[in-house]
Amino acid sequence: MLDNFLTGTATLFGDPFTIGIFIFGVIGGMLFGAIPGVSMLTLAAILLPFTADLSPSQGVMLFAVIYCTGTYGGAITAILFNIPGAPENAPTAFDGYPMTQKGMAGKAVGAAVLCSAVGGVASAIVMMSATEPLAQWAIMNIGPPEIFALVFFGLAVASSVGGRTIWKGWLSVLLGLLIATIGQDPVGGINRFNFGFSDLAAGIAFVPAILGFFAVSEIFVQAEKKVSGNYSAPKFSVDFPTFFELWAHKIAVVRSILVGFFCGILPGIGATLAAFMGYGEAVRWSKNKSDFGKGKLEGVISSETANNAATGAAMIPLLALGLPGGALTAMMVAVFQMHDLEPGPLVFYNSPDLIWIVFAGMFYANLSILFIGLLETKTILYLLKIPFQFLAPMILMLASIGAYISRGLVLDVIVMFAAGVIGFLLRRSGYSIPGIVLGLILGKIGEQNFAQGMQMVHYDLGTYFSRPICTILIIAGVLTLAKSLHSAFFAKHVES
Amino acid sequence: MGNLKNSDLVEIVFWLLIAVIFFSVSFNFNQPIEIYKFGATGWPRVILALIGLAALGNLYHSFKNGSKTQQGRVGASEAPDQVYYSSLTDYLKTAWILVIPLLYAISLKPVGFYFGTPFFIALVMLAWGERRVKFILMSTLFIYGLLLILFMFILNAPLPQGNVSPFYDFSAFMLKMKTQFDQLF
Repeated sequence: MLDNFLTGTATLFGDPFTIGIFIFGVIGGMLFGAIPGVSMLTLAAILLPFTADLSPSQGVMLFAVIYCTGTYGGAITAILFNIPGAPENAPTAFDGYPMTQKGMAGKAVGAAVLCSAVGGVASAIVMMSATEPLAQWAIMNIGPPEIFALVFFGLAVASSVGGRTIWKGWLSVLLGLLIATIGQDPVGGINRFNFGFSDLAAGIAFVPAILGFFAVSEIFVQAEKKVSGNYSAPKFSVDFPTFFELWAHKIAVVRSILVGFFCGILPGIGATLAAFMGYGEAVRWSKNKSDFGKGKLEGVISSETANNAATGAAMIPLLALGLPGGALTAMMVAVFQMHDLEPGPLVFYNSPDLIWIVFAGMFYANLSILFIGLLETKTILYLLKIPFQFLAPMILMLASIGAYISRGLVLDVIVMFAAGVIGFLLRRSGYSIPGIVLGLILGKIGEQNFAQGMQMVHYDLGTYFSRPICTILIIAGVLTLAKSLHSAFFAKHVES
Repeated sequence: MGNLKNSDLVEIVFWLLIAVIFFSVSFNFNQPIEIYKFGATGWPRVILALIGLAALGNLYHSFKNGSKTQQGRVGASEAPDQVYYSSLTDYLKTAWILVIPLLYAISLKPVGFYFGTPFFIALVMLAWGERRVKFILMSTLFIYGLLLILFMFILNAPLPQGNVSPFYDFSAFMLKMKTQFDQLF
């Protein structure tokens, strides 16, 4: 492994043009992740056609690097403005934004930098050493029933960590699931709920919906406060977390690495569920559960470690099986196809150079998060000093372009602003925006795998539950739902 | 009526309406799929039934506890603080803030990005309560210029051009300028 890694490193840093692409990916991913309104997906969508002019290894490496640094960059806007750069940063905002409101933005961003780097590097090392055996294990043990069971468990966790009450948490997730049914059904390709709009046959795209629910609705919330005279600018601070503050959360970091890696390795699940489950597990094991959501450093640490730990793991099903784990890894498949390559087991034998330059690129990209992240953090915190009446149109414009670019449809911009209005109204009533987005992302994956699983077991639930991983995940999901239902009836209620 | 408020009734009506409308629309695609027993409607109808159940649970919660928050809910603080409106003007201002972006989005197809964007930026700043004309003009020019440099010149991203004259002609003029600029290098 070490020889291959050194060869990959030499290839990466032996050619000035490849170094340039690496640096562009690192800085571009961080910037597009950290600018409110656009995300790493926007950058990836814009760059996709240009990768035809690059070599396959350069193209895939560029996207892998953007994936690592963009996942970290999205945490900055989640912490500073309550606008997650990507869905995988949504749980980061639960505690990160309250920390900003308390004048602890520096601590939150500092923790995000360090934990993203630790999670990402750990994941990259495991990815390099175990891609092939892990892929073999996944082939043998993970099928549609297990993926559906994990989606079910993830949605159960998500419904229990958002919204003012459990009912609102569930309604949020269910709304996301319902939106995901718009478009063609995943088995028969039958058009559903397109209400006569032919553009809706392809479904509601993730990027505009996510931008609308997160970025646009937050702009509306701040605007409403401004109009009614309740607006107060976020507090500025550059205090970093101390070593001892971070060391105190070492168990949370290790737990989140494991959770992130497990979620990342499963095809179609990706970093979003990893972040939610990393956060959910932190709450579950904490002695002070009630502190979460009010500005607890452990919330930021758990979510950011888990989502970056998933980035390396997400490359395993992509490279070893040819199955993308999310929107950005799906674009990587397109890069492969542009060069007449197919990701899958044969890539390891036919293009080992490509594999190891990608692995080396991801490893160094995660290290770069630590160094560049710490250097730029203080500068980024000055974003808080920009007047919001200047920042608001800028964010809305970047979001509009980001929504339009991915498919070239004006309908997507309309969907984005409509999602913003709906998100604004639902947030005012205490519903969970991250819950809606997670339902939207996992809805189609869940339905597809449920259908495939049912066909596999010939609709026999006995066979379905004879699969141990599937049974464990379903039981864990049912217990999570039962516990939250119990607390819905018996927990104390306080004035909000 | 227990602790129920008008807003709780609006919420239950909203969710039940969604469930009923989508359920009735689901008959439009209620076709059997040969290889899948539950068909195209099975999954969405289960979701709609669960929405109905959760909406009733939500109503029961409001009836019993009013607008109180369940203790120990993580992430509940993401819901913004309640904002109280003192006059009709405040409602109209918020409505205006919500409507401007929708109008911009709808106008993108006929008007295009290049012509409509500066007006949209200025309108958003006005809606935010900014009244300094010089600030609005300078900020609009700065943001518009930055977007053009980043997306039009550096990233070469295709942006909506509009399909109605003279807006389409304006977009064509901008793109021609860009081509001439490219030819300089």
